[in-house]
Amino acid sequence: MGYPNKPHLKETIVLSQHFGDADARTFKGWTKRGGYEALSQAFKMTPVEVIEVVKESGLRGRGGAGFPTGLKWSFMPKEKKKPHYLCVNADESEPGTFKDREIMRWTPHALLEGTAIAAHAIQAEIAYIYIRGEFTEPWTIMEKALAEANAANVFGKIKIVLHRGAGAYICGEETALMNSIEGKRGNPRIKPPFPAAAGLFGMPTTINNVETLTAVPHILKRGAAWYKGLCLSNPKSTGTKLFSVCGHVQRPGNYEVTMGFPLKDLLYEMCGGVPAGRTLKACIPGGSSVPILNREETERTLLDYEGCVAAGSMLGSGGVIVFDDSTDMVYQIMRLARFYAHESCAQCTQCREGTAWTTKIMERILAGQGKMQDLDLLLDLSENMTGKTICVLSDSCAAPVVSGIKKFKNEFEDYITGRRKPVMVA
Amino acid sequence: MTVTEEYRAVFAGKVLEELQGILAKYPTKQAALLPALWLVQRERGWISDRNMAEVGEVLGITPAYVKGVVTFYTMYHQHPVGRNFVQVCTTSPCNICGAEGVVKALLEQTGAKDAGATSPDGKWTIIEVECLGACGFATPILINDDFIENVTPDKVADLVKKYR
Amino acid sequence: MPDQLINLIVDGVPVSVAPGTLVIEAAKQAGVLVPHYCYHPGLPVAGVCRMCLVEIEKAPKLQIACATTVTEGMVVKTQSAPAKDARKSVLEFLLINHPLDCPICDQAGECELQDFVFQEGRSGTRYGEYAKRFNPVEDFGPDVLYVPNRCILCTRCVRFMDDVAQEPVLNVSERGDRAYIGIHPEARLNHPWAGNVVDLCPVGSLLSKDFLHKARAWELDKTASICTGCSQGCSVTLDTRDEVVVRVRPRPNLDVNRYFICDHGRANYRWMNRGDRIEAPLVRRDGELHATDWDEAFARVLGILRGASGKAVALVSPGASTEALDLARRLLSAFEWTGAFQVVMGEEAPLPGVPNLALRAERAPNAKGAEQLGYTRDYAAAVKAAASAAVVLVLDDPDCPVETAGALIYAGTVLPPETACRAAQVVLPIANVAEEEGTFVNRDGRAQKYFQAKPAPGMARPAAWVLGELAAALGVAEAPR
Repeated sequence: MGYPNKPHLKETIVLSQHFGDADARTFKGWTKRGGYEALSQAFKMTPVEVIEVVKESGLRGRGGAGFPTGLKWSFMPKEKKKPHYLCVNADESEPGTFKDREIMRWTPHALLEGTAIAAHAIQAEIAYIYIRGEFTEPWTIMEKALAEANAANVFGKIKIVLHRGAGAYICGEETALMNSIEGKRGNPRIKPPFPAAAGLFGMPTTINNVETLTAVPHILKRGAAWYKGLCLSNPKSTGTKLFSVCGHVQRPGNYEVTMGFPLKDLLYEMCGGVPAGRTLKACIPGGSSVPILNREETERTLLDYEGCVAAGSMLGSGGVIVFDDSTDMVYQIMRLARFYAHESCAQCTQCREGTAWTTKIMERILAGQGKMQDLDLLLDLSENMTGKTICVLSDSCAAPVVSGIKKFKNEFEDYITGRRKPVMVA
Repeated sequence: MTVTEEYRAVFAGKVLEELQGILAKYPTKQAALLPALWLVQRERGWISDRNMAEVGEVLGITPAYVKGVVTFYTMYHQHPVGRNFVQVCTTSPCNICGAEGVVKALLEQTGAKDAGATSPDGKWTIIEVECLGACGFATPILINDDFIENVTPDKVADLVKKYR
Repeated sequence: MPDQLINLIVDGVPVSVAPGTLVIEAAKQAGVLVPHYCYHPGLPVAGVCRMCLVEIEKAPKLQIACATTVTEGMVVKTQSAPAKDARKSVLEFLLINHPLDCPICDQAGECELQDFVFQEGRSGTRYGEYAKRFNPVEDFGPDVLYVPNRCILCTRCVRFMDDVAQEPVLNVSERGDRAYIGIHPEARLNHPWAGNVVDLCPVGSLLSKDFLHKARAWELDKTASICTGCSQGCSVTLDTRDEVVVRVRPRPNLDVNRYFICDHGRANYRWMNRGDRIEAPLVRRDGELHATDWDEAFARVLGILRGASGKAVALVSPGASTEALDLARRLLSAFEWTGAFQVVMGEEAPLPGVPNLALRAERAPNAKGAEQLGYTRDYAAAVKAAASAAVVLVLDDPDCPVETAGALIYAGTVLPPETACRAAQVVLPIANVAEEEGTFVNRDGRAQKYFQAKPAPGMARPAAWVLGELAAALGVAEAPR
C-alpha cells in the first residue's frame, strides 16, 4: 500500500498488505493472517520443485539487477557436497530506496518465511540476513520476530542468523556483502569465481534481496501462474513491485503496483504529483545509480525492466526520486557524485580517483569556476569509469552525470557562463 | 604511545559470553569481527587502537587487520564522540527536501558549530551521512540508536530539548 | 600424456600454453608485456589496478588480463583503441594524486608508473586546478619508509605480508580516495622477509631506508650473483655504482627463492666494499711480511709445498667458491690431508608462502660445496692437528686461531692486525664474491654460478686463479684460463 499513506485503488497489494499493522509483526498475528503456510508447503516439496515454481513465476531480483530468481537458484549445485549458504541482502542503501526497511518493519515474518523457503530450495543450512547498521528499528523487530519463530520451531533444520552491517553502501554488492560477513573489508570480489560455485566462506552461495524473497511465499501459495499473470506490459516482467517514491511529491511512500504500470499514473494519481504551483522537472526511476529521466521521458515510462530501458533508464531498485522545477539539477548531481566518492571501496583506480575527481569538477562548476571544456571532461571521465571495474559503483557515479549533462545542459551552462550565481565556495 | 592506566579488557564476563554465543553462528572466528566491534563500541562508546589489539587477540587476527576493517566502515568511531551522536542524511532525495537546513539547525541549537566536532558541553556530535534508507520520510536522523523520521528545521528545537 | 595445450592469438601472434594460464602470462610468450601494477606472479591475483585491461574478441567488455584464463581460440588484442584508451585513462587517474616527485624519488629510472606513462599515457594532465591528496611520510619499521602520496594502492605489499610472509601486519585503511596503506601503531614491519615489499612496490612509495637517496637507478650496473648470507643460495642482483656495491636485490629463480630474498641477505653487502684489504702478495723476509709480486709469492709457496711432507691441514671459509676449495685440496694432494671449516649459525626464518625457502641457520653460502669436496665440520680437531702439520693453508678465514710448527700459508681478503694468521709465511690477496666469478653449492646440492660485479682492489686476484696457478705449477691441475 502507499504506506504511510492510505492504500490507493490502483495498487496491487500483495507484499504491503500488512504495512502499518503492528499485530502482523508478532508470530501469532502473522500465522493468524496465513503466515508460514507456504513454508510448510515448501517443506513437502523437493528443492528442485520449489525452484521450478519460482522459475515459472518469472520473479526477478528486486535489489536492482533484475536477474531471474529461479534461474539464480538453479545455479547452486544439485548434489550437495559442501555447505550451502543463503545471504539475504538487507543492506538497502541505494538513494531513493526504502522498501526493504518497510518490509522488515511491518512484515518481518514474511521475510523470514521467504528466507527459509529459499534456503530449502538451494539446500542451505544457514541463511545470513545482512541488515545495514543504520537500520536500528528493523533490526530490533527482526530480532524479536526471529526469536518467536525459532521458539515455534518453524524452520526445521534451517538456521537464520542476523548480521549487522556497519556503514558501507558497497556492502550491498553481493560479493562485498559476503566479504563483510566473513569479517573483512567490504571489497567486491572479481568474478569468476561466481557465488554459486565459491561464495561465502568459499562455499556455494546465493544472494537474494529482501523484496525478492518476500514474494516467494505468495508465489507458492497462490501459484506461479497467478504471479505470471500480474503483468501489464512485457511478459518478461511479472509480479508486483514496491516503488519507493520520494522527493518532491505530495504523498511520498512505498506504492505497490503491477509490473508495467505507467510511471505517470504513479506520480500524478497515487502520489498527488509535485507540490502545488510547481512542475515536474526530472525523475530517477530506479535509485540514484540509473540515468535521470526528463519530464517527457518520465511521463511515457512503463515501470518494468524493459520499459525503463526503453525510456532511457533502468528499473533498478525502484527507488523513484522526483525533482520538481525548484531543483538545482547541477547541485543534486554533485551531491550524488559526492555520495559515490564517499562510498567507493578504493580497489579500482577509476572509481577511487574518478568519483572524487568528478565531485571536485562539479563543485568547481557550482562555485562559478567552471569552463565549457569541463562538460566534455566529465563525459570523458564518465566513459572511462564505465564498464572497466570490478563492480558497478563507478558506472553508477557516471550515470547521473552523463544523463544530467545530456538533458540539463542549460543548467550547467548557466553556472559556467555566470548567468547563475555560484552556490558554493571553491 | 604510553598508557598510564592499566587496560581493562572488554571481553570478560558477560560480554565474553555474548561473544562466544556469536562465534557459534559462524564457521570462522574472523566472521565474528563486525559483531565483536559492535560489542566494543556498545561497551566503551568507541574503539581504540588498544581495543583493536584485544579484538585481534580474541579472534586470532592481527591488530593491523582489525584496523583495516574498522577504518572501512563509517559507523565505528575511532575517537570518543558526544553523548548524543547524531547522523543526518543529506543525500539527494533528502537534500531536495531540506536536509541541509536540518543540519544547520542542529549545529546551531546544540552548540556543536561544525559538523564532526563535539559541542563544548560534550553532549552532541553532529555529522552528515549518506542515504539512511528512509527517503520517503525526509529528513531522517539517527540519534545514537534512535531512528527519527520526518525531521524538519522547526522540529529540531524539541528534539534537542528531549535529548539534552 | 601431457595436458592438451590451449591455442590462442595475442596481437596476431599465435601461442600455445597450458590450460589455466592467465592471459597476461600467455601474452609474455607472444612477446607482449601487458602493462600492469597489482599483478605479480609471486602473489595471489587481486585485479584492482585495472591497468591490464585488454580487448578479447566476443567479450562484451574489456577484461583484465591478470584474472582471465585462456580459452581455446581466444583472440586477444592489447593494442586496440578501446584497450589503449582504457589503460591511458587508468594512468591519468593514477596521476591525479600521485605527486611529480620524480626528481627526488628513489624509484625514478626503475619506476613502472614512469615507464607505462611514457609508453601509453597522456602527454598532459587535465587535473590542473586541485591540490593533490597529502599524507606525511611514515616509518614502517627497521628498513621501510612509506610515502603515502606516491602510493597507487596496488596492494602488492599487503598481499605479500598476508599470503607470502603470512604475518598480516599491513592493511588498507579508510575508503575511497582517502585510502592508504596502514600498519597498526603498535606493530613494526620487522618480519625477516619484509624488505621485499620495497622491491614489489611498483612506484617509490615503499622505500628502503638503507638505499634512500644513495644512487640513481640509471647509474647502477647490475650483476647476477648468489647471496652469501646463508646456505639457501638465493639468486640476487648486485647493484654497483662506481664500483661500489650499493644494493642487493632478489633475482627471479623459480627453483630456489622465486622472487624474494630475506632482510639479512639484503643488508649483507657492506663487507664487499671494505677498504682494509690486502692489496699485494706478502712474503716473510727477516721475520717480517714484505709486499712483493705474484712471481715471488708463488715461488715461495711452491718452495714450501715441494720441500715439505707429512700432514697438511686446510682451514677454509665456507664462503669460498667451489673452484677455490677444490684447488686448495688438490694443491695439498701430496700430503696426508685434513680439511675443515666452521660455519656461523643463526636463527632460521622461513618464508611460509614459498616451499623450501628460509633464511637458513647456516650463515654461509658454500658449506655444502665444501662438504662435497671432503671438508669436514670438525674444525676444532683440524686446528689442533694444524699445530703439528707440515703445511697449513688458511683460505679466507682471518679469525682462525691457528698456531703451527709448520709453514702457514694464508690466502684471504683481509688480514686484521691481531689475527693469528699474521704469523703466515706467505699472504696471498684474493677477491671477494663481488669481484670474481665462481660457484656455490646450496644446502639442497644445487650448484649456482655468480659473476663479477666490480674489480678487485690492488693486486688481489680470484682465489681460484691463485690456487689454480699454484696447482698447475705442481702438475696437479690444469692451468687456469
